[in-house]
Amino acid sequence: MSISWDEALDRVRQIVAVCVEGDAERLRLEEEAFSVEVRRTTRRAASLAAPTEFSSGAGAGVCASSAAASNGAAHALAEPVLLRADFVGIVRFSRPVVAEGSLVNEDRELAYVESLGTRNPVRAAGRGKIVAVHVIDGQPVDYGHPLFAVVYE
Amino acid sequence: MKKILIANRGEIAVRVNRAAHELGIATVAIFSEADRNALHVRYADEAYCVGPAPAARSYLNIPNIISAAAVSGADAVHPGYGFLAENARFAEICADHGLTFIGPSPEVISRMGDKAAAKRVMQDARVAVTPGTDILESAEEARKAARKLGYPVLFKAAAGGGGKGMREVRTPEDLDHAYATAQAEAEANFKDGRLYLEKLLDRPRHIEVQILGDAFGNVVHVGERDCSVQKPSHQKLIEEAPAPVLSERTRSRLHDMAVAAARTVKYTNAGTLEFLVSGDDVCFMEMNTRIQVEHPVTEMLYGVDLAVEQIRIASGQKLSFKQKDLSPKGHVIECRINAEDAEAGFAPAAGTLGEAVLPAGPGVRVDSHVYAGCVVPPFYDSLLAKIVAHGKTRAEALARMDVALRETIITGVRTTTDICRTIIADERFAAGGVGIEFLPSLLHERVAGIR
Repeated sequence: MSISWDEALDRVRQIVAVCVEGDAERLRLEEEAFSVEVRRTTRRAASLAAPTEFSSGAGAGVCASSAAASNGAAHALAEPVLLRADFVGIVRFSRPVVAEGSLVNEDRELAYVESLGTRNPVRAAGRGKIVAVHVIDGQPVDYGHPLFAVVYE
Repeated sequence: MKKILIANRGEIAVRVNRAAHELGIATVAIFSEADRNALHVRYADEAYCVGPAPAARSYLNIPNIISAAAVSGADAVHPGYGFLAENARFAEICADHGLTFIGPSPEVISRMGDKAAAKRVMQDARVAVTPGTDILESAEEARKAARKLGYPVLFKAAAGGGGKGMREVRTPEDLDHAYATAQAEAEANFKDGRLYLEKLLDRPRHIEVQILGDAFGNVVHVGERDCSVQKPSHQKLIEEAPAPVLSERTRSRLHDMAVAAARTVKYTNAGTLEFLVSGDDVCFMEMNTRIQVEHPVTEMLYGVDLAVEQIRIASGQKLSFKQKDLSPKGHVIECRINAEDAEAGFAPAAGTLGEAVLPAGPGVRVDSHVYAGCVVPPFYDSLLAKIVAHGKTRAEALARMDVALRETIITGVRTTTDICRTIIADERFAAGGVGIEFLPSLLHERVAGIR
């Protein structure tokens, strides 16, 4: 018997919470029909251009960004979080155009992904600084394509 | 037609990619985050991730799929089978965005896709149908209808396919439970919980007829396929053609009914009419308005390329052959190698393949998307490969299949290779003409034997 996707998501959330609370590097949960492994990779700002990759299926590594988001404050150098495209479309930069070093907050629309005539805004989750721009204006992007890397305050 | 977006994954995406490239047409793959390294992505000219692993958010994500077509400049969409292949709304949306949908018109898909409506169409075309009901409103109504039809009966999902939302009911006591579970399964799989009932025939065989129609009103049948070897879930495991032990009268009756039905609905592109056959009794079951998993059986028997014909028809060309040009040569059998544990009720297995050695040799064709070290995600259907063997006679095809299955080495997940070998070695199967109860009872005997 396989478990439903919702159940699987719940398990992943639980294990991420345990991982973050216990400051664990790696945690593996194995059940009869399900196994998941969460690994946190500590990265320095220099390596932020590398997109965090999901490996597929059960046993997926949960990417660094989620752990970093909740854990960032504890570190002297906060880890960048990638903002990714949720839609397939063309990325359009909003004005004024952000660049590396731009300060942003949750209200500012950094760009939008134009998908079949709809405008899907891209915003940071809070106050922070853009440390990398991974796309150019007018570029086609697919689901999950890295757009910006943000270091939150 | 210059660029086709293939709205699917797995072996059928590879198959369509092959047909498109053969015709000099560029391809666009779509994939979920679980399929980033899949073969269909590597073979296509371009590829777009359309969502996370669950199919509902990726391979069924219509906005992202259409947007990928727009962004890539594709002018046509091939839906493969499963996912959006029989979704009339999707076909309509494709048309609205100026994309040629490689399949029949949305009107025909929705008429034939609603099984109860399809049955009415068939009755109009004087095609023999299985006695049954319209859409049921309640379990109580189902109970009354079942009494009238006479047990055993079968619940089926109006929007169904692939054995989902189907429940056999042998006694009135089992009816409520079967109604509830079939409805829940239909709702979960098709977002449409509507059910109807059909009379269950005595040990019927599943025989289907392949048809092709073009926009000029030409319709041909490309023979039948016997798909009676089905898992207890009603999913096909082994298919062959021509159907063995079938009277020529019944065979041509099936062909004629299929062509008549296709003409009645002005069918275009590839489609299949499924029948239940018991002796010389024939009942229409459903029509599939898409290419089928088992289409290579027909391709090898008749020496045609159905995927290429699909593309040609959709681009407004005439069928490249007439009925008189089509004649079956020899015998063909196909085994589905699934990532499933036949010892555990065909429970799907996911994981990473160790070895993946697929067979070859005279008369052997393999349609597959797997390779050594590839990941088999748990989110999609479990088909790994289709092994197809052609022979001058059925005996030669079976002998070649046995060799091919012995050459198949897939490690890392459990597969249906061994159960397929067991089946083709079984004397009842070797004699030909088994009914759909054959595999379930074979499995039952094996369990009893082990005990």
